[in-house]
Amino acid sequence: MNRYFYIDAEGKQKGTFSPEELRQEGIKRDTLVWTQGMEQWKRAEEREELYFLFSDTYRKPLAGEGEPTVRYDRPGESTQTRQIQPMPRTWLVESILVTILPFMFCGSILSLLGIIGIVHAAQVESFYNRGDYAASLESSRSAAKWTKVAMWITIGWIALIIIAIILFVVFIGSLSGFAGMEDLLSA
Amino acid sequence: MRKELKIGIGAVVTVCVAAALYFFYTFDPEAQPLFPKCPFLLATGHECPGCGSQRALHSLLHCNIGAALKYNAFMVLAIPYVFLGIYLQYLGGKKRFPGVEKFFFGRWAAAVLLVVTIAYWVLRNLWKV
Repeated sequence: MNRYFYIDAEGKQKGTFSPEELRQEGIKRDTLVWTQGMEQWKRAEEREELYFLFSDTYRKPLAGEGEPTVRYDRPGESTQTRQIQPMPRTWLVESILVTILPFMFCGSILSLLGIIGIVHAAQVESFYNRGDYAASLESSRSAAKWTKVAMWITIGWIALIIIAIILFVVFIGSLSGFAGMEDLLSA
Repeated sequence: MRKELKIGIGAVVTVCVAAALYFFYTFDPEAQPLFPKCPFLLATGHECPGCGSQRALHSLLHCNIGAALKYNAFMVLAIPYVFLGIYLQYLGGKKRFPGVEKFFFGRWAAAVLLVVTIAYWVLRNLWKV
């Protein structure tokens, strides 16, 4: 069995622990772990060897040694391992808002980005309900990405409009200034 | 720190919205060339679902609801919806009314919104032609 380092809630590196000891440390699915041979830190749920830590919700078959399911039958531990992961943020409200708002500022094309966000956001819940937490998390991240892209482009667009209006006002102002000068000259 | 950031963003947004409302109240988008024109309308000659929302906002600010609905009924209805969304997401409405959030900003609501938008888009152009 590999010995793992992990990064705790405060961002400190701790280790090393065997997978069994990691469970006692109370690591979560998204805790970053590292062991020899890995190129980079990964979430614990992405390590096959650590699946059994979350097996109550994951129910992945365990290959090879050590049947952990037997251990979970012991009283006192079941409560600890039966934590239900909360649903990742869906971004549904935000993505709907960034889809509607561009219409009001004559940026209807920008709404397409928001719609991509909505599609991803809708998948967060359906994956979560299906029990596929990793895919749900992935959708949540895509939704966040597209929503933010749409939001910043919309903000940029509004800023452009404001600049254009200011330039226009200055332009008109200078024109009427010239007109006034002409009046002065002719008079 | 985080709280100050939130207050800062809130203040900036409030100032911007107030400035925009003043701007839209003072100037009439129909008469002034200041206002941005819809690229979709310029390119195709057909109105997009958002066309008329600035004129509608101007009419609304002058309490002329009938004219506002005529310019763009969809956006007039969308304004309270947008405020509802902002309230739910950022001002703590989500925790107080989780049912409301699920109903108005759930997956079904997103689908319905999409269908309504496209229907409005098609119908307003058909009506006019």
